[in-house]
Amino acid sequence: MTVKIRFFARFRELLGTDIMTDVVAGMMFSSLITTIAKKNPEGYDAIFDEKGTFREFVILMKNGKRIDIADAAKTPVEDGDEIAVFPPVAGG
Amino acid sequence: MMLFGDEGQERLKKAHIFIAGAGGLGSPVSLYLAVAGIGTITIADMDEVDRSNLNRQILHFDRDIGRKKTASAEEKLKEINPDITVNAVDMKIEETNAANLVGKADGIVDALDNYPTRYILNDVAIAKKIPLFHGGIRGFYGQVTTIIPGKTPCLKCIFPKAPPKEVFPVVGVTPGIIGILQANEVIKYLLGSGLLLMGRLFIWDGMQAHADEICVERNPACVACGSVVKKKTTAGKRK
Repeated sequence: MTVKIRFFARFRELLGTDIMTDVVAGMMFSSLITTIAKKNPEGYDAIFDEKGTFREFVILMKNGKRIDIADAAKTPVEDGDEIAVFPPVAGG
Repeated sequence: MMLFGDEGQERLKKAHIFIAGAGGLGSPVSLYLAVAGIGTITIADMDEVDRSNLNRQILHFDRDIGRKKTASAEEKLKEINPDITVNAVDMKIEETNAANLVGKADGIVDALDNYPTRYILNDVAIAKKIPLFHGGIRGFYGQVTTIIPGKTPCLKCIFPKAPPKEVFPVVGVTPGIIGILQANEVIKYLLGSGLLLMGRLFIWDGMQAHADEICVERNPACVACGSVVKKKTTAGKRK
């Protein structure tokens, strides 16, 4: 099955966007993002802390619905999912 | 004004908008609201103009380096539209003074550079039941949404945790684009026309020249506005 991952802002600079990837059934949200983010160490560090958990400000969405960071490890991705990962943009 | 007639122009004239920040976003927001004829503009900032600001903070000129941003802003806004009232507030926005500073304004424009102060104004907007026109920028990226307390998610629903403080470069046109969108939202809100960015986070990628929109939802357990939702539900049940 195939899912689409969209990064925004700083995450996009480091990891690209609109990444189509094949995933195995039952793969969890956090595992998927970890795998993709590991392609660039700086990108991984921007999203995950040293313990490998999502940084608290990271926003995760699946098909337009918010996924709580605490639930990312137990939320499976499904065929055709569109996943958005982004930071709050702070400057003014 | 042919677009919205005398009645619309009169609405703008009677309006009072509070702009938090006279920097990258505050510059285009205040200039466009001033020339649109918003009757009263209060603009708050505590900084002085620095040379490094000048690539984007178009309210301030080379000659203003070292001056208070509020003094520079007041001068330019009064010059560009002498028929409006401009209140420049040279003060740090804090929990203790925010509600007083906003006063009886009809809306708050978030032209800030940090989330802790944004959260303070989010609380003020909720308490006063007035809109918060949010904008944020970084590099070539920007985001905009319009928060209407009781109707849309608040800033804490969308961004519950502040990102770490960082210093980053911004290309001048990014706050130009985002600030103009915020000003456009303010004008539509005051006129009561058009479709606002309610429950919609508009995301601009200047590198790709591409805009996205993400649907954002209210968090019923939100620490900032959750009680507003609860109160409304309770009131509804009583009826």
